[in-house]
Parts: sequence; structure tokens; C-alpha cells
Amino acid sequence: MSPDILDEAMEIWFGPQHVSAHGWATKLTLVGDYVVECDPNAGYFHRSAEKVLEYKNFRQGSLVLERMCMLEAFLAEYPYVAAVEKIAELEVPERAKIMRTIMMEMSRLHSIQFWWGQFNAELGFFTMALWPWVDREYSLDAFEELTGSRHTVSYSTPGGVKYDFTDKVLKQLDRAIKRFEDRLPKFRDMQMGSPTFRARTKGIGQYTVKQGLKWGLSGPPIKACGVPMDLRKDAPDPNLAYNMCDWEVPITENPDHPGESDALDRMEQRFKEAETSVQIIKQLLPQLPEGPIIDPKARAKANRLPEGEAYARVEGTRGITSLWLKTQDKAQTAYRAKIRGPCIASYYALKDLVPGAKFADFIVIFGSLDPYPGWWDR
Amino acid sequence: MQFDFFTWLAGIPDWIYGILQWIYHLIMGIFFWAWGVIEWLWASVFAPESFMFLFRAVLFPGLIFVVLTLIWAVWFTRKLWGRIQDRRGPVHMGKYGGLQLFADAIKLIAKENIIPDNAKRWMFRFLPGLLLVVVLLPFCFIPWDFDYWFIADLSVSLVLVFAFLTAVPVVALLAGWVSGSKYSLIGGFRAANNQFAAEIPMIISSVGPAILAGSLSLMGIAQAQTSVWFAVLLPINLATFLVAAIASVGIFPFDAPVADSEIIFGWRTEFTGIYFTLTYFAEFAEQMLYSALIVALFLGGPVGLPFLPGAVNFIIKFIITFFFFVLVSSSFQRLRQDQIVHYCWKYLLPLALLNVVIAMLAIVYLPGIAALLPLGGP
Repeated sequence: MSPDILDEAMEIWFGPQHVSAHGWATKLTLVGDYVVECDPNAGYFHRSAEKVLEYKNFRQGSLVLERMCMLEAFLAEYPYVAAVEKIAELEVPERAKIMRTIMMEMSRLHSIQFWWGQFNAELGFFTMALWPWVDREYSLDAFEELTGSRHTVSYSTPGGVKYDFTDKVLKQLDRAIKRFEDRLPKFRDMQMGSPTFRARTKGIGQYTVKQGLKWGLSGPPIKACGVPMDLRKDAPDPNLAYNMCDWEVPITENPDHPGESDALDRMEQRFKEAETSVQIIKQLLPQLPEGPIIDPKARAKANRLPEGEAYARVEGTRGITSLWLKTQDKAQTAYRAKIRGPCIASYYALKDLVPGAKFADFIVIFGSLDPYPGWWDR
Repeated sequence: MQFDFFTWLAGIPDWIYGILQWIYHLIMGIFFWAWGVIEWLWASVFAPESFMFLFRAVLFPGLIFVVLTLIWAVWFTRKLWGRIQDRRGPVHMGKYGGLQLFADAIKLIAKENIIPDNAKRWMFRFLPGLLLVVVLLPFCFIPWDFDYWFIADLSVSLVLVFAFLTAVPVVALLAGWVSGSKYSLIGGFRAANNQFAAEIPMIISSVGPAILAGSLSLMGIAQAQTSVWFAVLLPINLATFLVAAIASVGIFPFDAPVADSEIIFGWRTEFTGIYFTLTYFAEFAEQMLYSALIVALFLGGPVGLPFLPGAVNFIIKFIITFFFFVLVSSSFQRLRQDQIVHYCWKYLLPLALLNVVIAMLAIVYLPGIAALLPLGGP
């Protein structure tokens, strides 16, 4: 890049007061209509969660985690719970395992529905933004019936789950899934069949799987390249029920550019992710055994943990969410907790991904990676 | 000359007479001036034909009617958008939310006007008003009815209307320029880009009706459609005109100038309070103007059901056309600005030309069609 091009450049702060930038700010350098430099900045959404975790006891900690990303609250709180279970060596009842998995997949479904609407709103199609959000209300109704809260659910707890499924919850889960399945063909047609959507997303934000792994991406952005990298299959958690049902890792392979993904592929991948979630839920719901939902001694055991450290991770909606927990002997709170959200990778991937794109495509690239600011400002 | 007392004494009556005369002329002057004013008022305002002209210009097809239609159009758009998007639209103020716009307008007018430091203050205050005036003026050439219920009929009114409409994006560009914000500037250039893309297909589309009617006056074009609507002879031109009109107004899906997820609110970013209200109204007024133009150019103007007054026919068709504006604007993802130029020049322009050529060939080789037009058949 010759320096005289940059003389004409215009610097633009995309955020933090931008309508699309909810808690983040990126400095863009524009030459004409092209972005030549992209500088993602973190720090506008900081809530010092890791420090807060050092002051919370082991049953309260998951409440902090789920506030990292309220859209996938069931998934976000799980790494902390799993880490505590590892250190305390707790046994989880069979029923609780399946219930956890069902709710985690519901959370994934609901998060994808939200992203779907948000991405369409960013593309200027507000009709398609509001339609998935209506369906999402059905999932939220079930969450509210189950836990009393729509977003901050605090459902998993060391040794099991907090609330049992009632008939009404099961009915509402069925209703949410049925609604989703009814509307899916129409949505797929409206989304993938829309010429304007294809025009806006085809070939936008394209990267190879090698680049993606170098940036540290995981989850749908990698699976959209055709690589079945999924923790649910690769490293099944013993306290979850993913191996009790039959499913395939959803991948998107585009014959035009094998091993690469653009924004269109990532949309297709989100469709498949949601379908897989529904598939898993529908298989797990009939398998629910009778029994306790929590180990009766778990409360006492999780009160004070022995000295140790544990690393737990889960395949979230946006990628691998992991947490490292270190405890002191007989202490009521953690010594140190380190969260690794999936979105810090996808946010800083913009630095390499965006230059060369048009300014109007910046928000498309950003939206297709689905970064949530809560995950990079901890 | 020596002072002579008696001569002075004899002059006093003359002097008094002069003063009386002066007062008389003053009073009569004022009286005749007032009389003249009254006569002029009578001749130009209160004489029946003049009064009715003013009535038309100000009340029925004129300003008040247009402003009321504008308020209806905003309500209609919001309500229809709500229905399309699985929600209700405004419901709280008045019956069916009919008073919502008044509430919004009062709120916006009562708000503080913030003018940025970098803005050119005088132009910043002046441009929104100018924009609304420029958009409202062409309504005086709309042929609401063939006789009596129209305001003005000019032999070149079609050209004049386009001349006014070309000024709209210039005002937008200026508004972006004087706002002193980078987002506004980008939005202003995008508005100019939209007009650059859409104007030529739009004017070519309106050439067809003008040729068939043998007139550049909107009234003449409407009158030429008494036996056959030009929508029958020029269906492609109707479609290209509609699309180009939507692109020119800059609503969805051609809303790159005010793309809220990309450039906040484009050239309107810095406008607050009453200035924002004016630009918001101007957008709807422009849509209404294009709807009225489509009715006059393609859908027969006041021609329609014979037992209804012409103006009522016109308004029914106007509402249907406006419905299409709302429908299209809620059904697509936003196009990028280079794609807008691409679509308008690569698809709309040849199609518009093609239809004109086909219509001409039809006139030459199908004498039955020419007989329906003012050209006359063999």
C-alpha cells in the first residue's frame, strides 16, 4: 500500500455509539468505499467477570457466566458447573444429564433464531428479523415456565439441575419445536432463495479453514468450511447426553469453494445447526428416565471444594466456550477463574478479514461471524 | 420684498384652504388605496372563480389535502409494516393508532434541536424545510380530475416535476455535507449515487407514456388514457418506473443512503427534533408523489369507474399504488450501492427502452391499438 493512498483515507469509528455496535467499537480506515484497515477494539463492555468469580461461591458462579451471553444462557453457564463437578467429583443423575442437554440445545436453537433476525436486521430486512423473533418467544415461554426467567435462567447447578420438567414445560417445548419445524421450510426459502440476500452475502467475508483455525475460530464459522469440528462429537462430556442419541455433525460444503466459507455458507450452516438441535431434542425427550434431578449430597459437596484445578469446555452456539478454575483447599470461593469465550477470536479475525471489503459489507462480515461482545469483554 | 401685513392677512384663507385640500387628498388617497386593495382582494380572492382556485390550491387537491394524505400515508405504512412483520403496528393513540403520528410529531417538535459544532448552521437549519417544499411543490401538477379539481396544468409539467425531483438528492447531499459528520457525508454521497442510478431508467420509463400521448403535460397524458390505460401498452415500463422510483426515494431495499446498520442514519444522522420530522415527512411525501405520478402516467389518472368522481378514482388507484411501495419495501434485503447502480443500469434501463420500442412497433403494425390513442388510427 503506497502511502499516498492513505492521504485520502478517512478514519471512521464504528461504535461505540453506533446503532449496530452494541457495546463494541471498531476503527475503520476507508479509501473511497473500501476498508483498508480494520482495528477492532475491546473494552467497551467490560464487567470484570473473572474478578467477580473470585468472590462468588461455587453455586453462585454459574450466574456470572450466564450473564456473559444471555442468548445462550444454558450453554454459557455450563463450563463453570462442569469444572466444579470435576473438582468435587460429583455424580450427575441420568435424568439431569438429559434435561441439561435438552435445555442446552433449546438454548442453541433460540440463540440461532435471535442471530438470524439480527443478521437480517443488519442486512436491512426487518420483516425477516421479526419473524424468527416471534418463534423465539415460544422457547422463551418454556424457559420462563421452567426457571422463572426468560434469559438469566441459572438452570444447571453442580450435581444436577435446579428445576424439574413439569407437564406444562414439556408441552411448551413441544410447541416451540413444532412451531420451528413448521416455519423452517418457509424461512429457508425466504432466506436462501432471496436474490438480494444472495447478492449481499455471496463471496463476502470468505476465508479458508486454515485461516480460520489460525485466528482461533470454532463452531459454525469452522463447520461452514466443511470441517466437522464439534466438541459434542469429538470430546463427549460424560455429564451430558450427546452420545445417547443419533446425530451427525452439521457441516456446509460449498462445491464452488471447498474448504472455504463465505457469509452465505455461514447462514446455511446456522440452518443446519438449528435442525440438528431439534433432531437431538426430539430424540432425547422420550428417553427421559424417572429419578432425582440432583445428587442429594451435591449441595454439601460443592460448598467447599478441595484444592485442585479443572478445565471444562462446551460447544456453544458461537464456538467453543471454556473455563479454567483453580481452587484452594477448603475455600468457599474460587482462587482464580479464566474464561475463554468463542467470540474474541471471531472479533479479532475482522482485523485480517475485513480489509479489502466494501464499507457496506463490514457489518455483513461482522454479523455472519456472530460475535457477541459479552464474550470478549469479560 | 417688504413684509405687507394686509397681503399676509388676505392669504390666510388660501392657506387654510390648502391645508384642507391636503387633508382631503390624504384621506381620499387612503380611501382609494384601501378601496383598491379591497377590489384587488375581491378580484383575486373572493370572486367566485378566484376563491375556488385558492380553495383548490390550499384545501382540496392542494396543500392541506396533501399534508393529510401524508399523515395517512405514514400511518398506513406503519400499520401495514406491522401486519407484514407479525406485529400490530401503532395501536395506542386514537382509534387503530390513527393519532400516533400527531403524538410523534408533537414529541419531535418539542425536542431540543442539536446542531453539531462542525455543521454549517444556516444551511443545516434551512435544508430540511427546503427539502419538504421541493417535494411538495410538484403536487400542484397532479391531474386529480380532468375538469375543475386540479390546480395547474402546464404544457411541460412532466419535465418540471422531474426537475423538482432531481433536486431532492442534491439537498440530501448538501445536508450530508453541511452536517459535519462522516456518516452524514457518506450518506449524502450514497443518496446522490442512488439518484445517479435510478433517474435515467425512470425518465426513460416515462418517455413511453409521453410519446403515446403526444404530450409532456401530466394532464394531457392522463386524458390520452380515456380509452386504454398505458399500463396495458407499457406494462414493463410500469414495473421499471416503480422500481426506479423506489430506488430514487431510497427506501428499502434501496435504502443505502440511510442504511441504519451501516451508517447510522445516513445524511439524516445529525438532524434532530423538527429538522428530523421534516426530512421524515419528505421521504413519505416523495413516495406519495411517485405513486401519484404512476397513477397519472400509467393507470389512467382519473379514468376509472364511471359512476365515481374522477378524483375518487384517482385516489383509489393512488392508495393501491402506495400499497405496492410498502409491500416492496418490506420484502427484500438491502442492496449495496454498487449493486443498485448495477441493477438499475443493467436491467431497468434496457427493459424500459425495450418496452418503448415494442409499443411503437405495436402502433405501427396493429392499427387497432393506434385508434385507441390520440394519434388516431387509419
